[in-house]
Amino acid sequence: MNIAANSAPIATPQPIPGPRHGKAPWRLAILFAMAAAASGILLTGVSVWFLAAVALAGLGPAALAFNFHTPAAFVRLFALSRTACKYGERVIGHRAALLDQVRRRAGLFAAMANAPTTRAASWQLGNQDRLSDYMEDVEDVDYARLRVGMPTLVLTGAMAALSLATAWLALPALIPIAALSILLIMTLRRAMPRASARWAAARSSQRAAARLLGAALAAVIPLKAERAFANVLASTFARFDDAAAALLAQRRHLAAVDMLVGIVGPAAALSVLAAAWHAGSRGEALLVPAFLAFAWLTFGETAIGVSRIVIGRVRERAARQGLKSWTAAAGVDMAASPAFAVLHTLALTNVPRQTPDGRRLGEAASRTFEAGNPTALVGASGAGKTTLLKQIAGWIGTDHDGRFAADGIMLLAARRRAMSHLSLHDAAILSDTIRENLFAPDASDAQCWEALTAVELDRRVEAAGGLDAWINQDMLSLGEAQRLNLARALLSRAPLVLLDEPVEHLDTEQGARILDRVFRRLADQIVIYSSHNQQAAPQGMQVAL
Amino acid sequence: MGDSSGNEVYGLARKLGGAGRRAALSWQIARALFRLGFAAAMAIFAGEMIEEGTLSVPALLGAIIGLAFSSCAGMFADLGAARAETGVVNGLRTALQGALSRMPPTQSRLRPAGALIAGLQRHPEALSSLVISHAAARSMLGLGPLLAAAAVALVSWHAALTLLLAIPVMIIFFALLGTAVRSRAEMQERAFGRLAAQFADRIRTLPTILANHALGREHGKIERRMTAYADSTMGVLKVAFLNAGVIDFFSALAIALLAVFLGLGHLGLVQVPGFSRLELWQSLFILVIAADFFTPFRRYAEQYHLKAEGEAAAQQLQWYFDDSNAASTLDGKNGAEVFSATGVDKFDAAKLPAAGLIAISGPSGAGKSTLLRLLAGIEPPSSEVAALPQVTTGGCAWIATDIYVPAGSLAGAVAWNRNAVDRAAIRRAAESVGLLDEMLLPGGLDAPIAEGGTNLSGGQRMRIGIARALLAGGIVFADEPTAKLDPMTAKLVRQALVEIALERLVIVATHDDRLIEAADQHHVLHLRNRIDKAVAA
Repeated sequence: MNIAANSAPIATPQPIPGPRHGKAPWRLAILFAMAAAASGILLTGVSVWFLAAVALAGLGPAALAFNFHTPAAFVRLFALSRTACKYGERVIGHRAALLDQVRRRAGLFAAMANAPTTRAASWQLGNQDRLSDYMEDVEDVDYARLRVGMPTLVLTGAMAALSLATAWLALPALIPIAALSILLIMTLRRAMPRASARWAAARSSQRAAARLLGAALAAVIPLKAERAFANVLASTFARFDDAAAALLAQRRHLAAVDMLVGIVGPAAALSVLAAAWHAGSRGEALLVPAFLAFAWLTFGETAIGVSRIVIGRVRERAARQGLKSWTAAAGVDMAASPAFAVLHTLALTNVPRQTPDGRRLGEAASRTFEAGNPTALVGASGAGKTTLLKQIAGWIGTDHDGRFAADGIMLLAARRRAMSHLSLHDAAILSDTIRENLFAPDASDAQCWEALTAVELDRRVEAAGGLDAWINQDMLSLGEAQRLNLARALLSRAPLVLLDEPVEHLDTEQGARILDRVFRRLADQIVIYSSHNQQAAPQGMQVAL
Repeated sequence: MGDSSGNEVYGLARKLGGAGRRAALSWQIARALFRLGFAAAMAIFAGEMIEEGTLSVPALLGAIIGLAFSSCAGMFADLGAARAETGVVNGLRTALQGALSRMPPTQSRLRPAGALIAGLQRHPEALSSLVISHAAARSMLGLGPLLAAAAVALVSWHAALTLLLAIPVMIIFFALLGTAVRSRAEMQERAFGRLAAQFADRIRTLPTILANHALGREHGKIERRMTAYADSTMGVLKVAFLNAGVIDFFSALAIALLAVFLGLGHLGLVQVPGFSRLELWQSLFILVIAADFFTPFRRYAEQYHLKAEGEAAAQQLQWYFDDSNAASTLDGKNGAEVFSATGVDKFDAAKLPAAGLIAISGPSGAGKSTLLRLLAGIEPPSSEVAALPQVTTGGCAWIATDIYVPAGSLAGAVAWNRNAVDRAAIRRAAESVGLLDEMLLPGGLDAPIAEGGTNLSGGQRMRIGIARALLAGGIVFADEPTAKLDPMTAKLVRQALVEIALERLVIVATHDDRLIEAADQHHVLHLRNRIDKAVAA
C-alpha cells in the first residue's frame, strides 16, 4: 500500500473572498464627531462672549458702534454646524461600524469554520441560549469602535484642547482641573478591573444558570414526577440572582465615575473665572475667560454617560476573549471544494473506537466497505457509532489513529473530509430557500424535485411555494428536517456517503421506504450508516459495535 | 403604552418597580432643581464679575453647593434606578420560576429549551429597563422642560414662552419623521427581514455547512447578504437619525436665537419685550437653561431602543403566564388526546395492586407516555385518568434515559434527591445494576460525572435511574426502559425492574416483548383512545 495522500489530486484550497469594500470611513466619522463637539463648545463660548461684550458695550457710548453682525453670524454658523456635524457623525459612524461588522463577521465565520471544535462533538452554538450568548459577544465587539473608541477620542481631544487654552489663559485654574482629573483617573483605574470582574462573574453565573436550566428542562418529566423540579429550578434561579447582583455591583462601581465626570466641566468653569479674577482681570479682560469657562460647562454636558463607555470597553475586552475561545488554534485547512473520484472500497484497519470525549471503547475497528453495499453500524446508544462515522469522515481523531485506505490508497483526514458527505443526525435547516438548503448548486430543478420526491417531501415543498420558497428550522418538523437532510445525501456526488441515524424521527415504514430509495440512488457510492435497530439491516451488511 | 398596556407581565413589572421608579424619578427631579440652582448661581457669579466688577462670594458658594448637590442627586438617581431595575429583574424571575415550576411538561416542551433559557436570561433585564429607566426618562420628558421653562420665566417669561413654543413645532416634526421611519422600517422588513439574522443562522448551522462542503459558497453568500442588509439598515438609520437631528437643531437654534435677541437687547438697539434691559447674569442664566431645556428630549431619544426591546420582552414573557395553553396541551394539537373520549375502558387506578409489574404497550402516538405522566400527576388530570393517590402519599421514582444527573461523582448522582443514604447502600444499589464493574466508567463510586451527564451513555443513565429507585421512592414509573440499550444491559434492566416489582408497584411503558412477558399485568393502548386489558397473569 503506498502512502500517497497527495497522489490523487488534492482539492485546491478555495480562497475565501476578501472584503469587497474599501476601508470603513472612520476618519471621516471622527472628523465629524470632533467638529460637532467643537461647534457645540464654540456655540456656547461665542454666545457668552457676545452677550458679555454687548452688555459691557451697552453701558457706554460704544453701543451704537458695536459690530454685532459678525459674532451673531458666528453664533448661527456654529448652531448649524453643530446640528449638521452631529448628524454626520451618527450616519457616517454607523456606516463605518456596519461596514466593519460585515468584514469582521465574514472573517469570524471563516475562522470558526476552520476551528477544530466545530467538527468535534455536538455543536454547542446550535442551542439558542449559547448562540445568544455568542452573538452578544459578537455585537459587543462590532460596536466597540462606535461606542467606545470614537467617544473616548473626542472627549480626550476636547479635554486636551480646553486644558491647553486654560493653561494659556488662566493657569491656576488647571490646579483644580488636574486634581479632579487625577481623582477621576484613580477612580477609573479602581473601577475598571472591578467592573471587569463583576462582568465576568455575571457572565459566568448566567452561563452556569443556563447549563443547569438546560439540564433541568431536558429532565423535566422525571424531575416533575419525583417532585424535584421546583428544587432544581430554585438552585438554577439562584445563579440568575447571583448574576443580577454582580451587574448591580458593576453599576454601583461606575456611578461614582459618572458623578466625578459630571463635576469636571462646571468645576473647571468656576475655576477659570475665579483664576482670571484672581489674576486681576476686570471688565473686557474677562470676556475671553468667560468664553473659556462656558466652553468647559458645555464640555461637561457632552461628557455625561462616561460609564457607558467604560462598560462598553469592559464588555469589548471580555467579548474578544470569549470569541477567541471559538476560533483559537484555527487550522490552515480552508474550505476544500470536494474532489470527487470514483471509489470502490474503503478499508479500515485498527481504527480505535472511542466516545465523543475521547475515551477508548472496546476493540479497534477493522472492516472493508464496498460501493453498492450500504453497510450499517449497529449498536446500542453509547457504542460510538456517531464517533466512528466522524472518524471515517476525517472530522475527529488524528492521522495516527488507525488506517483508512480507499482502493489501496491511504487517505489522510483532510482527504477523507474532501471525499465524504457526512449527514449529521442533528443536521440543521438554514434560513434560506429550499434550493439552497439542498446544497447542490449544480443540480437541475428536475434533479432537485426527484430528490425531494424520493424523500416524500415534494408535496410539502409544493405547498410551501416550490424550490425558491424560503424556509427555516421552525417551519419543519423533526421528521421533515430529517427527510430534507436525506435529500441532501441523495444529491451528493461524494464517493463516500456517511449517514448518522438516517431514519430517526421517521416512522418505521416510511423510514425503510426512503432508505431503500437512497441506497438505490447511491449504488455507485460507498454508503455507511448508523442505526440502533438491529433489524434495520440485513445480517451481512452490518457491523455490530 | 400601546400593546404592552394590556400585558399582565408588563403590569407585574410596573408594580414591582413602582417604588423604585418613584425614588429614581424623585432624585432625577432633585438633580434638575439643583442643576437650575447651580446655573443661576454660576450666571450671577459670571455676570456680576464681568458687568459690575464684583466677586460675589455667595454666588460662588451657591454654585459649588448646587453643583455638589446636583452631582450627588444624579448619583443617587443612577443608583436608585440600578437598584430598582435589579429588584424588577429578581421579582420577575421569581414569578417566572413559579410559573415554570407549575407548568405542565407538555407546555414547557412546546418551546425549545435554548429559546426558553435565552429568554429567561435577557427578557427580564429588557423589561426592567423599560419600566424603570425608560419610564423615568419619559416622566422627565414632561417635567424637565417645564421646570427649566419655569426657571427662565422667573427672569423673563417671554424667553420661557419662546422655549415652550419650540415643543409643538418639534412634535410636528417628530410625527412626520415617525411616519417616515416606520414606513422605511416596514419596507426594510419586507425586503430584507429575512437577511436580518443570517450571520447567527450560519453560525448555528456551521457543522451542516461543513458537512455539505458549502463553506466557500455560504461565506460569499452571507457576506453579500450582510452587505445588503447593512445598506438597507443605513437607509432606515438616515431617516431615524433625523429625529435626534431635530432635537439638536432646535436646541442649537434656541441658543443662537436667544443669544442674538438678548445681545440686541443689551445694546439697546431693539426693544423686544422680555429681552431688553436685562442684567448680564439674567441673559447668561437664560442661555444656560436653554441648553438644559432640551436635555430631557435627548435622553429620551437615546433610550428609544429600550422601549422596543422592553415591549418585545413583555410579549415574550407573557407566554409563561398564559394558562389557556396549559389547558389545551392535551388536546389534539400534540396528537396526545387519548383519554378524554367517553366510553373508554377505564384504566382503573383504584384497582391497581400494591406491588407488581404493570406493562403498558401500544403503537407510537397511542399515549403511553401521556398515561404515565397522568398517573404520576404531572399533567392536568384528564376526565378519564387521575393521578394515583399513592404518588401523592408515598412519592414515586421515574426511570428513563432523560433523568436529571447532577455533575459530580457517581455516588452523588445515585444518591441525588434521595434522603441521607449511607455509602454502603449507594454501593449496593449501584452494584446491583452493574454500574461499578464497568470499563466504561472507571473510578467506581467516585467516577466523575460531567455537567449534564454528557459522559454517560443512555444505558448508564437508565441504570442510575434504577439505582435511585432502589434507594427510595414509592411507585416506580419507567418510560421505554429497554429501548436503545444493548441486549446485555436490557436484560439487566428487566431483571432489576422485576425484582423491584416484588415489593412495589412498577408501571412501565414499553415495546419490549420480553419485558411485557415478565409483567404481571399488560394493558394495550390503541390509537383510537382505547385501553384494553389484554393479559392478566
